[in-house]
Amino acid sequence: METLGFLMDGFAVALAPQNLLFALIGAFLGTLIGALPGLGPANGVAILIPLAFTLGLPPETALIMLTSVYAGAMYGGRISSILLNIPGDEPAMMTCLDGYPMAQQGKASEALAISAIASFIGSLIATIGLIILAPILARFALTFGPAEYFALFVLAFATLGGITGKNPVKTILAAAIGLAIATVGIDSTGTQRYTFGILELYEGVDFIIAIVGLFAISELLFFIEEHAGGGKAQMAVNRLKMSWKDIRMILPSSIRGGILGFISGVLPGAGASLGSFVGYTIEKKIVGSRGYFGKGDPRGVAGPEAGNNGASSGALVPMLTLGVPGSGTTAVLLALLISMNITPGPLMFTQHADIVWGVIAALLVGNFLLLVLNIPLVGIFVKLLSVPPMYLLPIVTMVAFVGIYSISNSAFDLYFMVAFGVFGYFLRKLEIPMVPIILGLLLGPEMESNLRHTLDISDGDWTALWSSGLSIGLWIVAIIGLILPYIVGPILRRRMGEAKESSRPVD
Amino acid sequence: MTINDRIFGILILVVAVAYGWTATQFPEPFGGSEAVDSGTFPIVIAVVMALSSLYLIVRPDPDNHWPATRTALELLLAVVVLIAYTLLLQPLGFILATLLAIGTLCWRMGAPPLRAYIVGAVSGVVVYLLFTLALGLALPTGVLDVLEGL
Repeated sequence: METLGFLMDGFAVALAPQNLLFALIGAFLGTLIGALPGLGPANGVAILIPLAFTLGLPPETALIMLTSVYAGAMYGGRISSILLNIPGDEPAMMTCLDGYPMAQQGKASEALAISAIASFIGSLIATIGLIILAPILARFALTFGPAEYFALFVLAFATLGGITGKNPVKTILAAAIGLAIATVGIDSTGTQRYTFGILELYEGVDFIIAIVGLFAISELLFFIEEHAGGGKAQMAVNRLKMSWKDIRMILPSSIRGGILGFISGVLPGAGASLGSFVGYTIEKKIVGSRGYFGKGDPRGVAGPEAGNNGASSGALVPMLTLGVPGSGTTAVLLALLISMNITPGPLMFTQHADIVWGVIAALLVGNFLLLVLNIPLVGIFVKLLSVPPMYLLPIVTMVAFVGIYSISNSAFDLYFMVAFGVFGYFLRKLEIPMVPIILGLLLGPEMESNLRHTLDISDGDWTALWSSGLSIGLWIVAIIGLILPYIVGPILRRRMGEAKESSRPVD
Repeated sequence: MTINDRIFGILILVVAVAYGWTATQFPEPFGGSEAVDSGTFPIVIAVVMALSSLYLIVRPDPDNHWPATRTALELLLAVVVLIAYTLLLQPLGFILATLLAIGTLCWRMGAPPLRAYIVGAVSGVVVYLLFTLALGLALPTGVLDVLEGL
């Protein structure tokens, strides 16, 4: 009941005219970002962070806008999956399987509408799950001491690669690089570390510069390398013909997908890719021979879409309650919180209740906005798909420059951003994931202070890090998270590949 | 070929050793040494970094191929454009620097040159007006300073 009261307060925040306006702007920009080629959700949110600063928005408004962007990007991602058979990001892959065949059969707008409705249902279920689960988890997390937090951070890194991740060692290496960069600057005891006497480094490396550089600039370089400036031919979209019967048909699939997605979003290391994969395969099993999966079955669009959106809302649970994000985009949202001087974690639920519940309510409001935006306006978003990247990416780069420049008016920061972009290019070539680097940058200071506290209390005894039952449990999960990808990863990846192979339209 | 991961592994190993060694050299905190000092956490990171880079050297993944010379030059040019953009932002002003930088990037990505620079100019002016008029933020005007009085 207490939760309900908080949620009502949250609605009061989310429905304030200014916040509602920015939620609408966020939802629109998010769908755009999701739909445009070469702009993933993490990338898009990262570019918008400096802008949220320069607008001088209050924290709850900025957060509401960027969560709407996040939710919108998940909606937008499906447009290119369905129309072009090109998934915007990995979780959108499963939507291609039935979405593209539907579009080929001249049912593109039905596929888009179904995926919008399924996305809505998936997000709605997951947001309700978030409302129920988050306060419980936050209360539980209050019992965590520094040792438990340290173990939790290790767990976050260990599971970040995800079950489908390729090489866990590269994840660890990336995390270590991120943590090492985070130690640059003056530490809590006043010691200068790795500053080389450069004034700009005393305050440490600004993670927003690193994020924008690693994502946006390296993306530009990749597009140049692949000569992908031309863009794709546009697909015609028919007039929407849908009845309640069609919606009823996909309803069970959407609900199942949403629940499964939420669970995989909350679990460390599972994430949205697994959410949409499970959503699709379960649907295929349940419907069985009555369906025509892979040949344009609407339920094959609804299941993974609901799963993917459910997972992305579910991923907010660990980020909000523990301060430990489970995905690239939630890591970027965490960056926003930290830079607004809000320490995420269980205390946020008591200290900044208005912000947390405002954001949660904004997710619900945002979902309605997205549904309303998406069905009539899909034509606009489809047109934007044909904006050639050769104009789009340079402009995005310029927006990134303006954003970073407007934070500090310093050319030094811009050089740093370009350097991070070049670094990111090489990392991507070597298949070293960038999200652990960002997480390392974000969590580094917290991780170190928890280590210091633990060892100060125990007077230098390192076994204090795994002396309580809870911390031992966390360490075990972390170790499993590192080993599991070696065993399960290849099998899962092969299955996902097979699903894609077998459903390739025969033409 | 597995040379990429090996070279990267060796580079990181060198960085890790230098990073870890530096951490042992930090001055002792005021009031004598404690259980944990400023070097402790970096040393832990250095060890993790060194171990994982050794793994990369011993068991590298297969290489991704690098771009051919021509594409590599295009990439280099893009980076030079970005650096030049930063360099010229103050003296030339936002609009002119954007016209040059964004125009060049669009052109090199395959747009017809005239259209590329028009896109650069239009996007520069639009963003400039948006920031200065709507958001009240000052972007450098540079040599277009003279127009301010008009």
